[in-house]
Amino acid sequence: MIFGKFAMGLLGTAVVGAAMVSSEGFVNVRVHEKQPGGHNIHVIAPALLIPLSMRFAPQHSLDEATAQMKEWLPTIRAAMEGLRECADADFVEVTGPGEHVQVSKSGGAIVVDVDDEGETVHVSVPVRAMENAVEDLAERAPVESAQAADSQAEIQ
Amino acid sequence: MKRAIQAAVMVLCMAGVAMAGTPPERWLHVSVIDKDSGETVRVNVPIAMAEKVLGTIHQGNLHEGKIKIDGRFDDDVDLRALLEAVRTAPDNEFVSVQGPHEDVSVAKMGGNLVIHVRENGKKGDKKDGEKKDDSRVEVTVPMKLVDALVANGSKDLDVAAALRVLGEMGDMTLVTVQEAEQSVRIWVDSKNKAE
Repeated sequence: MIFGKFAMGLLGTAVVGAAMVSSEGFVNVRVHEKQPGGHNIHVIAPALLIPLSMRFAPQHSLDEATAQMKEWLPTIRAAMEGLRECADADFVEVTGPGEHVQVSKSGGAIVVDVDDEGETVHVSVPVRAMENAVEDLAERAPVESAQAADSQAEIQ
Repeated sequence: MKRAIQAAVMVLCMAGVAMAGTPPERWLHVSVIDKDSGETVRVNVPIAMAEKVLGTIHQGNLHEGKIKIDGRFDDDVDLRALLEAVRTAPDNEFVSVQGPHEDVSVAKMGGNLVIHVRENGKKGDKKDGEKKDDSRVEVTVPMKLVDALVANGSKDLDVAAALRVLGEMGDMTLVTVQEAEQSVRIWVDSKNKAE
């Protein structure tokens, strides 16, 4: 009886944990090198790991990214909101001799597919995870950058 | 139980009516086909998203979805008066140039400003050792779009307002360019993929 309750508790915790981990979707990266002996890489990771991994990144590594991003933060936010709200679609498709590049939205994720003579690359990132990553970067901006971004937002 | 089922049916019906009333999303499509290099580029952008993003850009002459017109141009030409004159004029052909190797026409037809340019490959006109072929450009600008560009009362062109109007209009082709080496098409419809 007690063992059963304990097992139920464990199961419930596992289910809740899995739900939390998968709440932001999954990042899917697949690389296939076409030359003989080429590498095949396939990574599926919970999108929740993106902000978590950023917490461990040294601040100086992120400073350049946040400094470049501050000017475009309102535009990025508007684009993310638009991407989140719009229907699934192919946004960009470039087809040429020996190459095909496609950027699209599918099932709440931004998907980038590249197929050329050397390799095939597939990257899928949930839009919500991208939004959260952008906001995390914005929060971690150096104080003077954050103030400048806020001032610019007020002017706008 | 019966009341719960009735309530659920009512909610579903209301949701259906609400969804049916929602206008379909409008898309701006650009297609560029380069026959020389064998490259095709297709871009599809939801107009609502483009309008939101445009309002946040502050670069050069573009601020909050408005393009500041260069002062020199503004001094020489009263753009607003020019566009008002075109807008109030009846359907007419304003410019027509016909030559042995070119045909240019600017006209107002059915609520649209239509610009048509056709250029024949001139005799002896060579490009990379081959005879230059004909090229054709067709631009259709709805007058409502022109109105939206200048409706804000200032000297700036309100591109964001023009995008909004474009999103409310029916399916139409705005620009077609046909050359021997390249073809370009820009159009608006409710499909989320280019044809």
